[in-house]
Amino acid sequence: MNNILRHSIRFIVVILLQGLLINNLHWLGVFHPYIYILPLLALPVSLPRWAEMLIGAVLGLLMDMICSTAGVHMAATVAVAYFRPLLIQRLVQDAQRISTQMCSLTMGDWQFLTTLGVMITFHHLLVFLLEAWSLQHLWWLILTTLLSSLITFLIGFLYDRTQR
Amino acid sequence: MRNLWQFIINNIHLLLFLLLEVVAFLLITHYQPYPKSTLITSANQLVAGVNETGDNVAAYFHLRQDNDALNSELANLQMQMQDLQNQLEYYQETSALPDSTRYHYAHLGYQVIPAKVIDLTTHQEHNYLTLNKGLRDGVQSGMGVIANGSVVGVVNQVNDYFSLVVPIIHTNINISARIHKTDQIGFTHWLGHDIRHVQLMEIGRHVLVSEGDTVLTSGITATFPEGLMVGVMDRVNLDEGDNYYNIRLRLTTDFHHLRYVQILNNTLSPQLDSLYNE
Repeated sequence: MNNILRHSIRFIVVILLQGLLINNLHWLGVFHPYIYILPLLALPVSLPRWAEMLIGAVLGLLMDMICSTAGVHMAATVAVAYFRPLLIQRLVQDAQRISTQMCSLTMGDWQFLTTLGVMITFHHLLVFLLEAWSLQHLWWLILTTLLSSLITFLIGFLYDRTQR
Repeated sequence: MRNLWQFIINNIHLLLFLLLEVVAFLLITHYQPYPKSTLITSANQLVAGVNETGDNVAAYFHLRQDNDALNSELANLQMQMQDLQNQLEYYQETSALPDSTRYHYAHLGYQVIPAKVIDLTTHQEHNYLTLNKGLRDGVQSGMGVIANGSVVGVVNQVNDYFSLVVPIIHTNINISARIHKTDQIGFTHWLGHDIRHVQLMEIGRHVLVSEGDTVLTSGITATFPEGLMVGVMDRVNLDEGDNYYNIRLRLTTDFHHLRYVQILNNTLSPQLDSLYNE
């Protein structure tokens, strides 16, 4: 119960931070970190996959309301929720034992950072691509994806360090 | 039948994944090129309510700049009023109607609804503004939105309390504009990313244009009256063999610091519509 509460609070805090603060900052026009994805990545691996996908869908739909981008964030978060357990099972043996949360303590340093980096980049790429709905500015898209993912990754990394 | 159930149970996660993705993509395509309701947008009452609260807190941090802006706006208006009064006196003495009256008549019939920007995206290709005025305040979709006399965008969706605006920096909107010096009419087109500039399209090569020319609203649609600022040309190219100029406008509206806007209600538009429909 305590664990559920902790994860719920994380989701609420991060959604408010994203909607009220980060979306209103103009970071030179290229940095648009979507930190709301971090609590989804921190869910325990033992969570049933259907539950993870439903949480992802609701989270994405909420972000779509906040950003006026119907469906874009939902498509990205559902994809992250579907592929995350598959990636973790490749990296960690007996991944089901990760039953509290996904962090560097429960799954090992490089496994955690790899999952974090791959999933954040994948998510950001999907969001920017689907929002643009064209390949007209492909290089710009790749640049924004990499720079924004980097910021989200750093925030996730630093948060993980403070938890140790 | 049993095999089918077995298949579904075996692949439940993949099927759920595909189902949710299909829903998401249906939403994406349904909301292209513009939203068709306020439900999954920032004008949604829940999201807009939270944003409005957040904005009310944030508003305290720029009271000083807002005051300065209002002061300069006031000074401008006072100067204009003085100017108009002088003109009026002059014409009352000479009792001749000036050529410029057509501009003033053009402004007749527009009602102004002041509104506050409670949410604004600038980093997307499809950017939106949320305003704190809705149906209850008389806002309707299709109304023009301006800030300090320069064009911001057009109201797209309205609910009881909030409205969603498609700004000039949205890749699917074109706003009719006129070059002040030559009266040539074109339209604006946003290329994405750069929220300070838009392109001015359809200006033929026979027209003489130069950097620094001002571009105003054309007045040929009922959304905006004639003569509101759109921007100033800051790059003009004409490639060999092109029929149209490649013109970049520097927008007068500063979307980074947009907080207060005015919604224009054209009170004559029902009459105009009925005229077009006949």
